[in-house]
Amino acid sequence: MTASTAPVTHSSQARPPIWRNTTILKWGVQIIVLALVIAAFTFLVSQAKTNLDQKGIPVDYDWINDPANIQLGEGIDTQPNSMGRALWSGMVNTLRIAGVGILVATIIGVFVGLARLSHNWLAQKVASIYVETLRNIPVLVQILLWFAILTSLGDLTQDSGVLNDFVFLSQKGISIPRVFFADGFYQWLFLLLVFGVGIHFVRKRLQRKQDLEGGDKHIGLISFGLWVLAAAIAWPANPIMSWVGSIFDAIADVWGSIPETLMQLILTAIAVGAAVIWIRRFLESRRTPAGLAKLTDDDWFRMIFAGIAALIAALFIWILWPGLSSWIINSGRDFFEFLGNKFGGERGSLPLDAMKPTLSEGRFVNYGPTGLTMSVFFASLFFGLVFYTSSFIAEIVRGGVLAVPPGQSEAAAAVGLSRMQSLRKVVLPQAFRVIMPPLGNQYLNLTKNTSLAIAVGYSDVVQVGQSLYNKNNQTLAVFGIWMTFFLACSLTTSLVVNIINRRLEIVER
Amino acid sequence: MSMSDANIALSAEMAARDNMITCRGVKKWFGDFQALTGVDLTVKDREVMVVLGPSGSGKSTLIRCINRLEVHQEGQIVVDGIELTNDLRNIDKIRSEVGMVFQQFNLFPHLTVLDNITLAPVWVRKKSKVEAEATAHELLERVGIPEQAAKYPGQLSGGQQQRVAIARSLAMEPKVMLFDEPTSALDPEMISEVLDVMKDLANGGMTMIVVTHEMGFAREVADRVVFMEAGNVVEINEPEAFFTNPVSDRTKLFLSQIL
Amino acid sequence: MSEMSGPLVVPSAGAAEIAFGVEHEIAPEDPITPPGRWMRENLFSSWSNGIQTVLFAAILIGILKWLLNLVFAEESDWASVATNIRLLFAYNYPVEQFVRVWVSLGTLLAAAGLSIAAWNLDLSFTLRKLGINTATGGGVLVLVGILTPGTAPSDVRAGMFVLGAILLVIGLAVLFGVKDPHRKRIPFEALLISVAGLVVAFVWLFPLGRYEFAGDEASYASGTINISTKGPWTVMMIVLVASFLVGKALGRVLPSGALKGVMAAFWVIGPAFLIFVVLRDPAFDWGYVWAVDVPMALGFALLGGGVLYFLTKPGLGELGRIIGAVLFGVAVFNWVAAFFGLYPMLQKGRISFMLLAVFAILAPTFAGERAARLRFATGWAVLVVVMHWLITAINTPSTLEIVAPPFLGGFILSVSIAYYVMLASFPLGILLALARTSKLPIFRVMSTVYIEILRGVPLITILFFFSIMLNLFLPGGMSISELAAIFTGYSLFSAAYMAENIRGGLQAIRRGQYEASDALGLTTVQRTMFIVLPQALRVTIPNLVGQAIATFKETSLVSIVGGFELVRIANQTIPNQPDYIGQNRPALLFISLVFWAFSYSMSRASRSLEQHLGVGTGR
Ligand SMILES: Nc1ncnc2c1ncn2[C@@H]1O[C@H](COP(=O)(O)OP(=O)(O)OP(=O)(O)O)[C@@H](O)[C@H]1O
Ligand SMILES: [Mg+2]
Repeated sequence: MTASTAPVTHSSQARPPIWRNTTILKWGVQIIVLALVIAAFTFLVSQAKTNLDQKGIPVDYDWINDPANIQLGEGIDTQPNSMGRALWSGMVNTLRIAGVGILVATIIGVFVGLARLSHNWLAQKVASIYVETLRNIPVLVQILLWFAILTSLGDLTQDSGVLNDFVFLSQKGISIPRVFFADGFYQWLFLLLVFGVGIHFVRKRLQRKQDLEGGDKHIGLISFGLWVLAAAIAWPANPIMSWVGSIFDAIADVWGSIPETLMQLILTAIAVGAAVIWIRRFLESRRTPAGLAKLTDDDWFRMIFAGIAALIAALFIWILWPGLSSWIINSGRDFFEFLGNKFGGERGSLPLDAMKPTLSEGRFVNYGPTGLTMSVFFASLFFGLVFYTSSFIAEIVRGGVLAVPPGQSEAAAAVGLSRMQSLRKVVLPQAFRVIMPPLGNQYLNLTKNTSLAIAVGYSDVVQVGQSLYNKNNQTLAVFGIWMTFFLACSLTTSLVVNIINRRLEIVER
Repeated sequence: MSMSDANIALSAEMAARDNMITCRGVKKWFGDFQALTGVDLTVKDREVMVVLGPSGSGKSTLIRCINRLEVHQEGQIVVDGIELTNDLRNIDKIRSEVGMVFQQFNLFPHLTVLDNITLAPVWVRKKSKVEAEATAHELLERVGIPEQAAKYPGQLSGGQQQRVAIARSLAMEPKVMLFDEPTSALDPEMISEVLDVMKDLANGGMTMIVVTHEMGFAREVADRVVFMEAGNVVEINEPEAFFTNPVSDRTKLFLSQIL
Repeated sequence: MSEMSGPLVVPSAGAAEIAFGVEHEIAPEDPITPPGRWMRENLFSSWSNGIQTVLFAAILIGILKWLLNLVFAEESDWASVATNIRLLFAYNYPVEQFVRVWVSLGTLLAAAGLSIAAWNLDLSFTLRKLGINTATGGGVLVLVGILTPGTAPSDVRAGMFVLGAILLVIGLAVLFGVKDPHRKRIPFEALLISVAGLVVAFVWLFPLGRYEFAGDEASYASGTINISTKGPWTVMMIVLVASFLVGKALGRVLPSGALKGVMAAFWVIGPAFLIFVVLRDPAFDWGYVWAVDVPMALGFALLGGGVLYFLTKPGLGELGRIIGAVLFGVAVFNWVAAFFGLYPMLQKGRISFMLLAVFAILAPTFAGERAARLRFATGWAVLVVVMHWLITAINTPSTLEIVAPPFLGGFILSVSIAYYVMLASFPLGILLALARTSKLPIFRVMSTVYIEILRGVPLITILFFFSIMLNLFLPGGMSISELAAIFTGYSLFSAAYMAENIRGGLQAIRRGQYEASDALGLTTVQRTMFIVLPQALRVTIPNLVGQAIATFKETSLVSIVGGFELVRIANQTIPNQPDYIGQNRPALLFISLVFWAFSYSMSRASRSLEQHLGVGTGR
């Protein structure tokens, strides 16, 4: 491995000719390849532009505000008034199924993975059959099978289901009672937060006392009791926080009144500032008591790259998508208004409420407080994804536990922990580090696999996008939205996984 | 004091020979850490030079700069009249003229012993396979393991692996051999078999730079001994003088700890 | 999308193995424990263990019962599957041409037999294992029989009981009748022959009945399978056994490794040819072939060979490098010109020229004595001839008469897409992985961006994009069929995952390997080809098999973008047949079984292969 070439000062010999100069060759080849790739890309894009122009399809995002004229099967808005709103509904649907799916798949996966490690022969076998069956059948086939099974169930009547009035199971879907956030929830949460600050101080006081005087002051127990007490007090008292909503409304007003140019300037300043700070930090890290160390050309490249990135960001903000700032302003205002609307519950409003499923005319009531209903579309996608993914999660959990050296559980057994205790206190915390990265990957896979919704007609972002471009031919633009959405999901997930990993590493040390 | 000492230490017969390796003011940084702080050193043709020094003093870094596994940032290194610059041709030439033996052997685990040895002669020296294999067998004979040609490195003992590594380097017919602690990863009973091969090489007139902690070897074989400290040469002398009558305090301390 | 990335996150190969896990089966050497003691130890050793037994027994029985109810539900008409077997596997492939399918399948089986012999895979197992598996199988069958609902045909249930009882008895007899069953091994030959024999006996004796689809009418006659099916299968089983025996014999005669080399080469390019045998019956325009195709191929082979022979001369120095660079420049210009419609020439000329340029750049790396140079030039010539033959044949219209337009479909489509996608994404994946681990920052950034973008989006959106949009990006006059577009998109997608897999292997290589190759004076290309890649790929094999399985499973997505793939046939074609309106459940269950059998056996095979080859131990 030849290390990167640094500027070398040579006294005696002349520079070698360029075709033998390693530095020049190295950079020359890279730049040529980069240029070729950019050229090919530009060519293809311009070709697409010409072709689209010929067909009279403009490439822009103005259609976002056009009326959608489509109906979604379910979601926050089933009759969206604009195409953008329809896509937004689809995105929420995607995230909804992904979020619940991740949760349930993890629970099942951990259970099955641990069962595979059980000393019980039958548990081991049943769990391995589960894993080996489910992960070897394509998830699409599983989803379609669930769809076929669910749609062949009986009609929805008062007694279709396992438990009359409470659990319904029919070709219209599945419905169970649910607990939901009622009007007072956010007020309650806010009040709890206020109490929490107080509890934190009490805790600190107790801790200091314990450190000084010794003895057990039951800190954990006391603070838990305090939390319970706070929750109980806040339960009926939540309406006293209804004024919080007006703060958010005020913020929304301020945010909404920011001029566009100012926002652009702020964004540019952030981009350039980030680059400058990064470069300065970088140089700082290369500085030694003896002065600035030799910078390799890799170092130079990094700094140049940071600069170019800032430049591109500025270009993007001002020229490529000038609408970005107004988008940020509008959506920020909407967001704070949305938060504001969550407050203002009157006297007697409860934080949580529960409802049984309600039927009308052979279908589930779709709106308002009712049971937790899964349409057949949602349910088949959900079951397919969850069972499929859980089989992979089970393998990851098992692998992670097996990766912990056997000496650890032996040592735990030696100090007298039971198998369950040793698993919980000794093995799992260590296995967690091995498990985390591939687990994050599975979460991502599940999220991406929600796109198979299109096979059963669940209104996720891909299905909605497809019905939109079938209407207006804006295929390229819809692809752009899909890509941005899924990349954002990926980036967020890997960010979270990385943060967790870093924390775990620090704990480890 | 380094340069003048070095020249004093040269015997008259040595002084008459050509310079094989010349380092002038070689400096090397790793990020913000300076590993070589201006090394001056000459190695004569057919000379055996042993490099000593405490851990982290830059011994490995120095010899790795000589065949450009590391790139020095300032100063000049000339090997057999070729200067190490970013000239592709020079780098290629020097790589095939300078052999290197590593502490960890670094044999190619997916190739047989024979293929390990013939790979470079065939693809770099452009020899025919038959010729290369004949040479390889000769070399295996010379390092004392003629019967292991068909085995994979994983099937050999450490001492045998290191001898294969030496044979692999010799197959390129190098003018200079660099050894970076070739016996440090070996069990005591295998050390001597490797050292014997190296002694033979030295007696055969190979130019060698050897980083080692084997003082017996240094005394017996070295023409000169170099002592390094904190990225620079502190003392150069002929082995007898070096061990019995070290000049610098640092060398005295080092020798008192090690002997 | 799915588990393609399972092991990918874990960068080092050492860690990647964890994800696969090592089966800790009871070592086959253990003698048999008496059932009573075994139950006490494994099922009821403690309170919690007993509870687990009861819990999991309940779960198992519940799921089994539910599944059996599903399979034998009254509204499921399994004749819909039996009648459509041909459709599911070969779609509209003309019946009278089926012999091609049999021939290529037979060739594959022959190659499999030879390969098993060449690699000396000892897949034999002990009588103990045989006994346990047979007895377990029998027991499970009886249990299934008990749980089968009354809606199932009575003879099916009776068959389950009888067969289950027989297997149980045989298994127990082997276990307890034979002395020391854990020490006695069944030789692999016997195993292979008996499995083949069982298959043959099954197709000849078992009264599955003859299902047919004539026009739109489904028909059924009792009896065994049609001779047109059981005949070929019998022959193929014989071929499998015979080729294994031949391979064994050859192994004794030929030098070790010779057969391995031949078989390895076959597995890389053989299937491409075989699929070709299945797909095409080209009517060559011989006049054109002789006037254009042959001279062109020969020209490239000979002239190119000559140039390469010259360029591999040792000591050519920079001259070689400069010639290579110039050739490459001309090749690139050639493509640029093509996009603007300049210099019309056959596309394969441009491709060949580009390839020649790449070879020319690599040539100095392979310089050597005469024999080595000749080898290099000959390799080029062979490659050119093979490539030109394939291109010519593909570009010539086929004379196969197809009933309905999509010609490729069913299981054949899944397998061919998976195979070609893996084949095409392999080189690209290697390049991307090398770029991502390289010290050259621009390459690293480009490769990272490519990989992360493609891994960040779902496969289905990529397939949509390529099937709808690819033609938009091509210059006027150029177009590409939908299937080819899907294939391109899938390959590009797969390459990103491939790259991550290979990167894991690259990172497992120790620094010393690079340093040793540099110290010996190998060039970067030589180092990569002779030292780095062989080691990296060896470590990567298990992950690559995992990816192959994932790729195969995900060919199911092709059904969404319009390919007549298994899923589409099961879910849309069959339920629309007048005889089987709405019958998609049996077919979906059936293709689940097909996918499962294929994926599961592949993963099992790779696991035993991995143990056999001792991957990662560096031997
Ligand atoms: N690749 C590298 N990156 C950063 N620092 C390095 C690198 N290689 C060596 N160093 C540092 O350079 C200094 C000299 O290292 P070198 O390996 O040359 O010492 P040495 O004399 O060979 O020691 P030893 O006897 O332990 O082998 C050490 O402080 C080491 O930490
Ligand atoms: Mg060292």
